[in-house]
Amino acid sequence: MKAPAFLRGLVPVGWHEFYVNLRSVRMLIMIIVLALIMVGGAYGIGRGSSAGGPSIAPLVAWVHPAIGTSGEHIAVAWVSDPFGVPLPGATVSFTDLSVQPPAPLGTTSADADGFVRLAVGNRSSIGITVRTGNAESGSGVFFDRPVENFTVETRQEALDTDSVPNDLGVHVLGRAGVPVAARLWLNDTYVKDVDSRGYGRLELPLGPSNVTIEVAGENQTRAVFTSKPLPSPFFTVGPDFVLLIMAAGFATFVIPIFAVVVTFDAISKERVQGTLDLLLSRPASRVGTLLGKFLGTFAAVALPVTLVNLAGIAVLTAVSGKGPTGSFALAFLGLSLLLIAFYIPLQLIFSTLAKTSGTAILFGFLVWLAFNILYPVITFVLSSVLFPNSFQAQFQFSQVVGLGNPSSIYTQLVTFAAPEAIRFSFGGGSTLSLTAVASAALVWFVGMLALAMWTFQRKAAE
Amino acid sequence: MDGHFVPPDVIEVEGLVKVYGRKGGTRALNGVSFSVPKGDIFGFLGPNGAGKTTTIRILSTVLAPTGGTVRIAGHDVHEDPMAVKERIGVMPDEVSFYPTLTGLAHLQYYASFHGIPRAAAKRRAIDLLGQVGIGDVARKKVKTYSHGMKKRLALAQSLLHDPELLIMDEPASGLDPQGMRYFRDLIRFLNGKGKTVFLSSHLLSEVEQLCEHVGIIDRGRIVAADSIANLSSKMSAGAPIILHVTAEGITDEAIAAVTSISGVTGATRTANGLDVTVQSGTDVGPDVSKALVLAGARLKELKASERSLEDLFFALTKGGRV
Repeated sequence: MKAPAFLRGLVPVGWHEFYVNLRSVRMLIMIIVLALIMVGGAYGIGRGSSAGGPSIAPLVAWVHPAIGTSGEHIAVAWVSDPFGVPLPGATVSFTDLSVQPPAPLGTTSADADGFVRLAVGNRSSIGITVRTGNAESGSGVFFDRPVENFTVETRQEALDTDSVPNDLGVHVLGRAGVPVAARLWLNDTYVKDVDSRGYGRLELPLGPSNVTIEVAGENQTRAVFTSKPLPSPFFTVGPDFVLLIMAAGFATFVIPIFAVVVTFDAISKERVQGTLDLLLSRPASRVGTLLGKFLGTFAAVALPVTLVNLAGIAVLTAVSGKGPTGSFALAFLGLSLLLIAFYIPLQLIFSTLAKTSGTAILFGFLVWLAFNILYPVITFVLSSVLFPNSFQAQFQFSQVVGLGNPSSIYTQLVTFAAPEAIRFSFGGGSTLSLTAVASAALVWFVGMLALAMWTFQRKAAE
Repeated sequence: MDGHFVPPDVIEVEGLVKVYGRKGGTRALNGVSFSVPKGDIFGFLGPNGAGKTTTIRILSTVLAPTGGTVRIAGHDVHEDPMAVKERIGVMPDEVSFYPTLTGLAHLQYYASFHGIPRAAAKRRAIDLLGQVGIGDVARKKVKTYSHGMKKRLALAQSLLHDPELLIMDEPASGLDPQGMRYFRDLIRFLNGKGKTVFLSSHLLSEVEQLCEHVGIIDRGRIVAADSIANLSSKMSAGAPIILHVTAEGITDEAIAAVTSISGVTGATRTANGLDVTVQSGTDVGPDVSKALVLAGARLKELKASERSLEDLFFALTKGGRV
């Protein structure tokens, strides 16, 4: 198949660029650097995030003040996991908190149903600590209020897969510290009875609710409130946030370096080593030659970058126990390629203009510096001067001005792709529409590639 | 030209102008015109900075001219560069290659531009590398090649697609005497197979041995374009001739006798005898010998000087400025 005349040379030049670049020493060095940053980052932060531990405590001490037959105070603890399954054998320690320093009252183990009871005479403040393995939980029992015919402990958490803290655990004991039959109502609607150990769980609607516990005709009503979770610290959000750091924090800096290092002398090297005239005298159009240079270097950078990114995601998945959101991971892979595609034509322009290796290196360094350091700093300073009193206006200004910076366009697109819960958690997010940012991306890429072709046509041989 | 039958011109250059930079930039070529007939070995001479390389780069379609026209085998280099590129083989002065590729890989890469199928390209590349004498290093990286090997590789790549015109910039520069002879013989061989050769060289003796026609460029203008013989006779017209006399026993009387001959304008002693300056168009050789012998000198040799290409070059380029 013969290429159209204006594209002649694309395939030979493209293959040559791809082949020569993939075998170059600098490619090897950049792959190692990228892997250290991306895979190492995924491992380090991912591991850090899992070391932060799950937000749900592995064991819960439901503590109740009870009154014995002769009127003595009894501190009762029922030990369970967060889902109401008893943990028999858990170690339970009691402490008298009414004296200074607090005095230990003894340690014992939970019985087969997870219960521990200790008569504490007339002491009024008892600390209870429960332990299984490395996990520990503590609570206090106070006898300073009149004990009704039953006592209730509740705990509101996100226990199922919706990530919303709308699961209300309820534990009910009779006045004597033993389980009693209890009915649970939610907003005046009967839901269920507690189990034989006094535990029941309700799923609450968003907003305010009333939960009523009914024991032998006696009611106790509690007001509860459920809201969507606020953005959480990253270690509770997990792999998506780590991927956001990898994409917006690491990739945005290191991928342009990769592209610049491979492309900075794509044309100037041919000129300096004297192969350019031989190339230009071949039956190849200037457009075909330049596009071949672009596609060859793009493929040579895109291949290792994608492989390293995939390795990073794999390591992140392995150390976090679960993978990032699929669509976000895919978008990250795609946007990394876009970032490469932004920088290569830009670098080809400067490589065409550079007459010596030194100038080419300088241009390469300046391009990276300009868009990754200078542009953001100048934008920040300008936004602070122009809008001293409005952070919102500064942010908006930075994002609009950022459309002139390929790295900023990339970051904004990454935050568009990130799951909603973490979108704004890394100084990201965009006040602009996706259409606006995507259009800027297209204009940048097409504009730079066209300018590279024009420059090459005019200046390659001069 | 000669007035004889002139074969169709492979290269036709008319009023070629090249200005580097914007308006007011360096004017490298200032109305260059010449033509090269088919089957010729055309020598292109000029001092450094005269515009040789610029002309070659325009002929090679690398550089766009600012003005004028250049046609190669009837195709305009600017209007139809692809047709020109298919017909030319370029051997640049600087023989530079991709250091980490082998000689064979270079030829395969360049062959891919000409649409030569892979297998055929490989066969052709191996053949050519053998023909130019570097078949044994075909699979070695070019960075291990000597200068001479690179020159041979440069020649091989220019022949890949069997072009009708070879544009060679200093093909013998930096070569040892064997290498220079090899290239000279090869150029004759290729010319014998019908290829037109455009040869730019600093080695005037080489051009003199190989070329019938030459073009001499100086300060962006063609100062002469003709056969060496024609140029020589044109340049000689009206110019005084020097007779180199080798003799012993030349006395002052002998010199006086010689200078009294009609047509002789001067005589100066040399280490071996005497240089006699004679007006153009006069044949006073026999008179000079006779006068010397009669004055008692023992005459060994009398030779009229010929104008070499080097003389022409220096005369036309005001000292050469090489």
